[in-house]
Amino acid sequence: MSEPNAAARKRVFLYIPTTFLVLFFVLPLVALVVLSFWQTANYKIVREWTTLNYVTLATESAYITFFLRSLLMATLVSIFLVVVAWPIAFFIVRFGGRYKLIFSLLLAVPFLSGEVLRLIALQGMLGPTGLINGALLRMGAAPLRFIMYSNSATFIAFVYLYLPMTVTTIYLSLLNFDLRLASAASACGAGRLRVFSEVIWPLNLSGTMIGFLLSFIPTLSASLAPRFLGGPNGTLYGMSMAQQFGESGTWALGAAMGVVLVLFSIAALVILSLGVNLRRTGFTGMER
Amino acid sequence: MTDASAYIKIDNVSRHYGAVKALHNLSIDIAKHEFIAILGPSGSGKSTLLRLIAGLDRPSEGRIFFKGEDVTALPPHKRGIGMVFQEFLLFPHRTVRENLAFPLRMTQETPAKIKDRLDWAEGILSLNGLMDRYPNQLSGGQQQRVALGRGLVANPTLLLLDEPLANLDRELRQEMEVEIRRYQKQLGIPFIYVTHNQEEALSMSDRVAVINKGKLEALGERQEIYDHPNTPFVARFVGRATRFDGVSDGTTINIPEHGYSFAPSAPVPTGRVSVFVKNERFALGAAGTPGIACTVIDVVLRGPFVEFILEAANKARIIAVQPKRPNMHAIGADISLTWDANLAHIFPAEG
Repeated sequence: MSEPNAAARKRVFLYIPTTFLVLFFVLPLVALVVLSFWQTANYKIVREWTTLNYVTLATESAYITFFLRSLLMATLVSIFLVVVAWPIAFFIVRFGGRYKLIFSLLLAVPFLSGEVLRLIALQGMLGPTGLINGALLRMGAAPLRFIMYSNSATFIAFVYLYLPMTVTTIYLSLLNFDLRLASAASACGAGRLRVFSEVIWPLNLSGTMIGFLLSFIPTLSASLAPRFLGGPNGTLYGMSMAQQFGESGTWALGAAMGVVLVLFSIAALVILSLGVNLRRTGFTGMER
Repeated sequence: MTDASAYIKIDNVSRHYGAVKALHNLSIDIAKHEFIAILGPSGSGKSTLLRLIAGLDRPSEGRIFFKGEDVTALPPHKRGIGMVFQEFLLFPHRTVRENLAFPLRMTQETPAKIKDRLDWAEGILSLNGLMDRYPNQLSGGQQQRVALGRGLVANPTLLLLDEPLANLDRELRQEMEVEIRRYQKQLGIPFIYVTHNQEEALSMSDRVAVINKGKLEALGERQEIYDHPNTPFVARFVGRATRFDGVSDGTTINIPEHGYSFAPSAPVPTGRVSVFVKNERFALGAAGTPGIACTVIDVVLRGPFVEFILEAANKARIIAVQPKRPNMHAIGADISLTWDANLAHIFPAEG
């Protein structure tokens, strides 16, 4: 292959994704930011520069509550998912043998149906006359109130929705992990807990962080799960944002909420990546 | 050497994976100051044996004793061993210093003791200036030194080495062979060294255990194993030898394919026999004298030795190794090949 040819090919491979990103990511984001500094009145956009939307978001207690609730929800969901996904992924890698791939694909089976469908199915499970509470009532027991249209129900939904993501990322990380390092640690005198905390966990920290973020970011902005299952006190930030674009027609305020979510997601990303020393997670691609 | 007080005692150990017998009724006693090499081809079960001694795997049958204590059921971290792996397996997220300190931290040594041992390892393994590097910033030889240090730093009962030099180049390997043997003599603990490389086994160890198909073929002093192999496998696998098919009448052995006969002074089995002659024990005489008539078809120089590639009348190739000296046989020369009848190893033919 001649030199200019290779250079041209390299450029094509760079330009295609760049164009794609500019068209479908950067431009909409710019539009969102611009819109967030405008106003909406009577379902019409008023093109006057103002920071009023952000003032509203920062001062009105409802929005602050929604935001903090979302932040807490996303944090709890992601931590819970990491705790649950680790043993699942570990056992698939360690004991899955030749069925490893099948096990990990099984986790993706719920994805074959749509998100709305899955949420409606959960509604049927958790609702007042749903499968769980219906059965409890039949048996003469008291129904479980906390799973009926509550934040707990939304929490269960998020765990159900994002578990495959978290398990898959941790699974992929463990798949690339040399389990003989665990044998080496063991031969060096480390018991099971030390082998995990000193070798297996730190060397899979990057993958775990990605798994955490893959549930944290969508949970932060989710609108469907709280709408179907959250009940009266279950409004989350993303759900409120969707309402601005729908029923209330206050698009500019919705855009500002969107910008806040983007900024927070970026902040979460930055904090986590600053907190992780790549060298300390065995990432060696930087040298040589 | 089967007293119960052996420092390390491997007693009738077997390991089966389903129907596959990786190891079969194997017993070895190892003394405290001994360097023992476990030599076998790949798939012979030698690494399985090492994993059993380390506790990374459990025997299906049999027991393992360290200093008289039954450790068969103990996990690796309670056995007080050191281990060095072929792939080094240093912790990539830890510096050299932290890798070396790892076994010491596991045994909860005091910071003063840890520092003391790190200084010792740094000195003995000449790791000066490397202590704060990460493993991927080291050369293969340096990584191997660190791996050795990590195995030795916590004063283990014994050190297990699983083909530790297989990933190093030849020159470095020979250097490390000398070093590893020196450490063993200094520390006075047993080194159990698994390898498929007979040169490593012979150059470093006191005794060699030859394993084939999960069974112990031979166990003995290295010179003994080399000079007096007790099975055809050992004769073939240890050293470089040429095999001839012969017929014996009890005193004289005839090799029909070359029309050559020789008579060892000791009695030999009768019937069909396999004759093994170490390549360096061939004698090359002038053409016409009694022996196997051969033509030199190539001469390979190997430092102080010369390999003559010979072709007999029936086109069979034979390699003879001789010390290098002036006026050697040239390519195309006709010679007569013989050997000292008492240095050939003779076994009844297999199968």
